Amino acid sequence: MGRQRRSRVHKAQRDVHRAARTRVRTRDLDLIQHNDLQPEERAKLENQPIDEEKPGLGQHYCVECAKYYETDIALKTHRKTKVHRRRLKDLRDPAYTIEESERAVGLGRDNGKDRINAEINAKVGDKAGEAVQDAKMADAA
Amino acid sequence: MRIAVCYFCSSPCYPGHGTMFVRNDAKTFRFCSSKCHKNFKMKRNPRKVRWTKAFRKAAGKEMVIDKTFEFEKRRNVPIKYSRDLVQTTIQAMKRIAEIKARRERAFWKNRMSGNKARKLTHQTSEISRHINLVQPRASKTTDIMPLDERAKVREKIRVNANKRPGMVPTKAMKKSALVPADGGMGMGMDVEL
Repeated sequence: MGRQRRSRVHKAQRDVHRAARTRVRTRDLDLIQHNDLQPEERAKLENQPIDEEKPGLGQHYCVECAKYYETDIALKTHRKTKVHRRRLKDLRDPAYTIEESERAVGLGRDNGKDRINAEINAKVGDKAGEAVQDAKMADAA
Repeated sequence: MRIAVCYFCSSPCYPGHGTMFVRNDAKTFRFCSSKCHKNFKMKRNPRKVRWTKAFRKAAGKEMVIDKTFEFEKRRNVPIKYSRDLVQTTIQAMKRIAEIKARRERAFWKNRMSGNKARKLTHQTSEISRHINLVQPRASKTTDIMPLDERAKVREKIRVNANKRPGMVPTKAMKKSALVPADGGMGMGMDVEL
């Protein structure tokens, strides 16, 4: 699955400790996927008001990579790069979340639909014995 | 007491252990160790890192779909304390844990079931590919020489050793540099030999 070793081609990429500081944290994939990529949010990010603090006055923003560019040309060139295409690939799968980390140890969440459905089923009574039957099957196994 | 789950490896984080990171959207990330925290800072995907629980589940190494996972859930429903409910819950927890362990064992057995045959075919194919490494050297028929041939070779070597200068005293060696080779003593020398 995972790569065995980084491909040693970018010799200038040093000082990973400084790059890992909290103040230079970049936007997480789950935020981009759940928030930024929604059509409304995307339109907002791509048409920002002029801001002197941001690179290129905040006019050239790549939503997927959460990065500002100086010019439109720079943004267009970026969209053709490997970095951008790799990011698109990463965004294709559902992002890893806190819920998934909990699910991995069998701790689920049940906040709405499933429970309501279960309650309805219990009232109807057609599936009320399912859990009991399952326990019995487990005993037999 | 609430035991948190590590964001990266999904192991338990007991109170007073590990680190917590609060993102600027107020989501809290718990880490059991600095190892997990570092991997998070490197923006690694736990689903692709082999030692995490998320990887094992995603790659089908462990049981994922089962009814025993339906019991323990965060439901966010306030429940009034009742002694009976607590007792039955504790009993049920033990029973469910038993059943779960048995099913996990069965899952593992099923996952490992084809391994013996797979290993055997792999080994046999490897042996057949490198059969010349496995055979003893003597069985290489082309290298074997008849006995009389071998004796000849030995004889040859002995002869060569005799002919090597310095090994056997020869005429040239016995002749001293002090004695002229073609002097009046020449005849005598020859006679002596």
